[in-house]
Amino acid sequence: MSAALFVVDNLTVTLPTSSGPVDVVKNVSFTVDRDETVGIVGESGSGKSMTALAVLGLLPRGARTSGSVKLDGAELLGRSDRELRSVRGNAISMVFQDPLSSLNPYYTVGLQISEMYRTHRGGSRSAARKVAIEALERVHIPDAARRVDHYPHQFSGGMRQRVMIAMALCCSPSLLIADEPTTALDVTVQAQILELLAELQATTGAGLMFITHDLAVISSIARRVLVMRSGDPVEYGTAEQVFSDPRHEYTRMLLDAVPRIDDEVAS
Amino acid sequence: MTRYILGRLGGVVVILLAVCLFTYLIFFKLSPDPAVMICGKTCTPERIDSIRDVLGLNQPLLTQFWEFLSGIFAGRDYGSVHCSAPCLGYSFQTNESVWSMLTARLPVSITVAVGAAVLWLLAGVIGGLVSAVKQGTWWDRTGMGLALGGVSVPNYVLALVLQYVLVVKLQVLPFPSAVSFVDNPLVWFESYLMPWVVLAVGYACLYARLTRSNVIDTLAENYYRTARAKGLSGALIMRRHALRPALTPITTIFGMDFAGLLGGALITETVFGLNGIGKLAADSIAKNDQPVIMAVTLLAAFFVVVGNVVVDLLYTALDPRVRVVSA
Repeated sequence: MSAALFVVDNLTVTLPTSSGPVDVVKNVSFTVDRDETVGIVGESGSGKSMTALAVLGLLPRGARTSGSVKLDGAELLGRSDRELRSVRGNAISMVFQDPLSSLNPYYTVGLQISEMYRTHRGGSRSAARKVAIEALERVHIPDAARRVDHYPHQFSGGMRQRVMIAMALCCSPSLLIADEPTTALDVTVQAQILELLAELQATTGAGLMFITHDLAVISSIARRVLVMRSGDPVEYGTAEQVFSDPRHEYTRMLLDAVPRIDDEVAS
Repeated sequence: MTRYILGRLGGVVVILLAVCLFTYLIFFKLSPDPAVMICGKTCTPERIDSIRDVLGLNQPLLTQFWEFLSGIFAGRDYGSVHCSAPCLGYSFQTNESVWSMLTARLPVSITVAVGAAVLWLLAGVIGGLVSAVKQGTWWDRTGMGLALGGVSVPNYVLALVLQYVLVVKLQVLPFPSAVSFVDNPLVWFESYLMPWVVLAVGYACLYARLTRSNVIDTLAENYYRTARAKGLSGALIMRRHALRPALTPITTIFGMDFAGLLGGALITETVFGLNGIGKLAADSIAKNDQPVIMAVTLLAAFFVVVGNVVVDLLYTALDPRVRVVSA
């Protein structure tokens, strides 16, 4: 069996605080294969996003990391900012929670997609523009050739997240990190975005690291799940195993916290 | 967009008219009788009457105001003397045409304002940017400490200290003199250097603090994090995703400050003896030369009001979110 695409081994992230260094991520290990979705679940402050930012070297100033993060066998941890630049957006790209604030309001979506493409692939402005239009078409944005010149605020919430996804995929990364990509969206749009992610993953074969606090979302798309709580990995296994037979008390609590339609309502 | 611009220009006219009326009321109605001032010490009541007649001071207030206004656009007659448009009257002190006094001095004020603006923009924005990027370091603390000091030093103190040190003691600069750029560029530059610096220091410190806080805010924006996650080069991230958003609000403030300075830097021009609009204002106020006071007030108001509109239009060009709403 070949090695997994993406291997996180014993990752620890330490942030400096006024009361001394605090481990916000402790000894986290998991793998993501090509064409596989791994969910990272936990309440806010559990260290999910810090794990993602550590992978790309985007942690706040003064943060320290230890352990190992490997993509295709190459170590990413400890690389300089300059070295990581060729990885960011290129081999690993990221979709963030709030698409409105994550896109720069001063530039058209076309420019924001094409600046990234040109950084990693070079080429002329017009060629990059074509790439941007194709990327928007791939995420099913109608009238992409016209919309490419629009600004983020001219799109609806769901369309904006499609733009973010289009941007993230324009350099055909082997791993996509989605950090709460559906949290800011309403439920019907959420479902569309999840469907889109699944569809794109099927066509690109990229690994997907899906971060969320929403168990319902994760159960519908992830093959494997890592549950985190205050920086600790509390449970890691296949989605089926974690959801049907949770071994850890915290996982059980999380599952019980999800309202179910057949729940008895106390009168 | 055209409707928006026309609307704004209509507003400009209304504001300028209001400024005209108030200035007119304040300076022509509340200050001493100009006819008495012009007439001097040895004066007969008949002479005062004839001066009042020539100046139109015997007419009702609104008629006087109308004469003044129409004089600006169509010219007017003072007795047998014709003052061609744009006519702002004649100085009570020197009998010079006020319009030609303004046009003679405006280039000096523009030179002072432009030179100072270049200096303070460069120093303020670069200083603020360095401070923001090196936030919390020795660079940042020293820079911001200096900026606080710079904001606190009054113009005239700085002007006198610089003059004493550089001109009197060290003699590295000549005393400012009225030399045109064409005649002697070096002396011209040396003459304006101190006024530029004196005016620029306060603004530069203010802009450094503004730039710093704006850039720091921008560095905390989600789109800045996105830009980094995209793997863009440091220079591109800085230019597109930090500086552009951080500097857009500063454009507004700059437009207003610059427009204000075009109306004359009163203290700086007076201290350095530069014959600009500011010194003209100071002199005319000291001598109660009403037509000149009226003219410099109007000119300053004109620059500020027009500057305001230019800034608003510029903003719609700089911020796409404003652009769409106003279209």
